[in-house]
Amino acid sequence: MEEVDNIIIHTLRQIGCNLNESVLSLKEFTTDNVIEATSTCLRVINDANQFSRTLPPSMSARFRLGTGLAQACQELGFNGVIGYQTFLYPTEGDIRTLFMFLVERLPKESAEAADEPMGGAILLNRRIASELSKILAGTWIPPFCKRSGICWSGKDGKTWHREGVKGVHPFRSSPLKYPKGLGDLTRKISKDAKQYYDSSAMPLITSQPPSRHNISDSILEANSLKVSSDMEWENEWNHSGLASGLTPEEYKAKKQERLLKKLSKNIQAEVQKANVESSRLNKQDFNEMIREISEQNVSAGHEHVGSRFTRSEKLQFTQDEEKELAAVAAMTENAGAKIDTEEEIQARRKEEIDAMQGRLTELTSRLEGLEIDMRKFTATVEQAQEQTEFLQRKNKEEEDAYKVRKRTADLLPDASNNIAKLETVVESSSTRLITLAKQWEEHRKPLIEQYREMKALNSTRLSEAQKKIEQIRNLREKMKETVEEVRNRDDLLKDLVTEYQNMVKDVNRSAYTKRILEIVANIKKQKNDIDKV
Amino acid sequence: MDINHDAQEGLQLCGESVRIPEKSFKKLVEITFDIILGKKDETSFDASNTLDSVNPGTLKEAYYGLVTLVIEAVKTDSSLTDISSYLEECKWDSDRIEYLNKVFSGTRPDIQALLSSTRTVFPHIVDVDWRLDYYVKNKYLDKVNKPTYLISLKTEESNKNGYSDVEFSCSMEQLQDLVGKLKDACKSLEKASQM
Repeated sequence: MEEVDNIIIHTLRQIGCNLNESVLSLKEFTTDNVIEATSTCLRVINDANQFSRTLPPSMSARFRLGTGLAQACQELGFNGVIGYQTFLYPTEGDIRTLFMFLVERLPKESAEAADEPMGGAILLNRRIASELSKILAGTWIPPFCKRSGICWSGKDGKTWHREGVKGVHPFRSSPLKYPKGLGDLTRKISKDAKQYYDSSAMPLITSQPPSRHNISDSILEANSLKVSSDMEWENEWNHSGLASGLTPEEYKAKKQERLLKKLSKNIQAEVQKANVESSRLNKQDFNEMIREISEQNVSAGHEHVGSRFTRSEKLQFTQDEEKELAAVAAMTENAGAKIDTEEEIQARRKEEIDAMQGRLTELTSRLEGLEIDMRKFTATVEQAQEQTEFLQRKNKEEEDAYKVRKRTADLLPDASNNIAKLETVVESSSTRLITLAKQWEEHRKPLIEQYREMKALNSTRLSEAQKKIEQIRNLREKMKETVEEVRNRDDLLKDLVTEYQNMVKDVNRSAYTKRILEIVANIKKQKNDIDKV
Repeated sequence: MDINHDAQEGLQLCGESVRIPEKSFKKLVEITFDIILGKKDETSFDASNTLDSVNPGTLKEAYYGLVTLVIEAVKTDSSLTDISSYLEECKWDSDRIEYLNKVFSGTRPDIQALLSSTRTVFPHIVDVDWRLDYYVKNKYLDKVNKPTYLISLKTEESNKNGYSDVEFSCSMEQLQDLVGKLKDACKSLEKASQM
């Protein structure tokens, strides 16, 4: 019975009973122990069973608690004799049968949970817990005794934890440059690139970040950036790249072209939209300016009512012009009379400017008229050229017709003879045609056959290629799956190993096996007895 | 541990004894770890004669691969067996793997501590000053007679030397409440550590 007691006490301790270390068998159980163990068991089996775990002082309360416990046990299906006296005045045999029953009824969830592999979350929690307990166990160190906020501890001084915020800096990364493709001898690297890699112009990656703190940040960022972009490319290649039947470089070039086209289209559309809008805006906002500009250069103003850029350019230009004019005026002014007052000079300048402006507009309008004339003339010249061409063509046609007619007219006098001659000519030409057709047919046949063969071959090859591509894709998928599986298995193995290490090597194992053996022996005995009967 | 193809290529270069002879390799590993830990700077590459035989471009790429491997391995807390199997894939021979593992296991905590310094943090309380004032009376009341605590928390900030103050005053009940909360926090921390 000792093993049974061991198992029961072990189980009771596991579910949280406060049993004294010295308690080794059920014989030593006091009333308190029995009450506590029973109520705990009942609570674990069913949460609704809320009995007091301690023995109440008053006799009636004790009686009520005992009856309640007994009733709960009976409800669970306990067959033996049970009442308040079982708990208040326990005998060893009674409570043994009772506890054996209760222990069997305990939910097996905890056992099942142990069988399942522990998830990453549990492991993480455990690690957090162990780290916390380690830190809690450590001694406090004043902040000025810590090198950049880190406490080193452990026997070899190799475990650490962070305390405080000294030496902490936020994540800040910078782009890194590094040589590529030197390991692959089959791939050609341009001479310039190689020279650049070898020269001191390319720094080592750790000297590239602006601050020493940010070396690791930059490297981590560069790595994850590259990894994710590689993954993206792999995905795309598997999805659409393989099916296109192009080499990776071709595929990339094609994609680039497509994207550029799309981009330029979008930009053009946006620019047009912006132009329309800006012209509207400009009309409202810079009405004055427009008038000025249209005065300056009417034709140009008509041609591009558009972009702000051209407008500002024009504005600048006219301003420059004005400045120049003013300078010229000032010079003449200076040469003439220096005694004039400022205002007079200004007035005169203005007049001169106006006159000049007037002349300028006149000239531009004349120029414009001339341009229009010129355009007209070129148009008429073109028209005339077209006409002459047409006439020349007509002339040629008519000449041909005339020649034919002349020949027929020449043949007319000796009509019958000529007709016969003509007929022979026609006949000979028709026979020649027929022979030619035959010859052509002869040549054509093998060629057509060859063509058909080639076509068939090509189609089979295409389908084969498609099949191969399909195969490749399948293989890749399989590869990925297997890799995933391997990784999962690895994780599982790791989890299990840590779990195994963390597991309490149960002392009770021998007890259990002994009990099992006992039961087996009992069964054998019973069987023998039954056989005898 | 995910390492990009470029860095992997660098690591392969690092494992080729034709490109990087044994002696240079050891020196390279040594310098790499010293630079990561900030014990040396990049000039030690020029100072070392053993690395002269290596083509500078190759050296840069190998160095890039090595630095990425070390930092990534520390970040993901990869085990030595993981690293070894990865390096075997990169065609390293067992001597080199062993040497790297030896150096790596010796410096891992230091690099971990280094990486742990990348973070954003709240100010950290390191000390406290307090004063107990007794509030006797004011213009309206002749008798107030209440204690007032003036608390000044000294905090440490990452980008500052010395300490800053967080000051507040509170009544006795408020202080008791605060102390209770702190005790709760301690208790839950203890509970969390006993999982």
